[in-house]
Amino acid sequence: MKLMIVDDSNIIRSRISRILSDPKLPPIEIVGTAANGTEAIQLFKSTRPEMITLDLTMPEMDGVECTTLLVDEDPEVRILIVSALSDKATAIQALKNGASGFLYKPFTDEELVNALLELIKE
Amino acid sequence: MSDLSEKDIEIFIEAIGGYFKQITHEAASIGVAYLAQNAFPMNDFTGLIKVSADYTGALYFSAPSAMLRHLLTVMKETDQSEENLLDAVGEIANTISGNARKYFGENMVISTPEKIIGIPADLNRSEKNYAYVIIIKWKHYSASLVVDIKRIR
Repeated sequence: MKLMIVDDSNIIRSRISRILSDPKLPPIEIVGTAANGTEAIQLFKSTRPEMITLDLTMPEMDGVECTTLLVDEDPEVRILIVSALSDKATAIQALKNGASGFLYKPFTDEELVNALLELIKE
Repeated sequence: MSDLSEKDIEIFIEAIGGYFKQITHEAASIGVAYLAQNAFPMNDFTGLIKVSADYTGALYFSAPSAMLRHLLTVMKETDQSEENLLDAVGEIANTISGNARKYFGENMVISTPEKIIGIPADLNRSEKNYAYVIIIKWKHYSASLVVDIKRIR
């Protein structure tokens, strides 16, 4: 399963990569990371991941707009929003735009893995 | 324009407490919020989130470099460069303010984090209004959260 990580925080990108490198997990190939929505769209076009972890609050292009553009590119792509924005309206909007799941920050290693395994099952 | 209430401030206290518990599996000691006009307890690195729409002002999370290095170690992050220490204060400020929207709603729009070394210029203004200060103690470190936010609608 090919995965792209999108977050403006270097330590979050690095942490997600590290958690998913656990050999006990189903093989997940991280095809690249992006720090904002604009970079994410470019990277998506060149790597065609099947799953994406996507932050919402980012410079240049936020995650809500990015979700719409990514789903336009590939309606089958599975997007897990990983964000601290905890209001219900934001989560509903992201899901309406085509996201498949929502994981609130701060998250534990186990919560991230479980959320991605759910997406893989879909 | 109105100041945030004690109940409002409690939301930020819960958010910062939740952050430490979730990330470190260890509770931080969170002090009672107090009001300050200047003499804010700032540390080496500060993450700043500006709020807008129905609110105005900013939230600051400020921590010493040693505490941030320890937090990165807990997160198994080996790159403890200045860039990553700045990233950490920005991400913590972002997480606290984002989590607070569960209570304040989508009409508290939050910015992406600004990351500052030293004392933020906005906190040095002599005409500054009062802001809430919350002290966070974790292990032997002390950090601070300054909530300088007002409701305008």
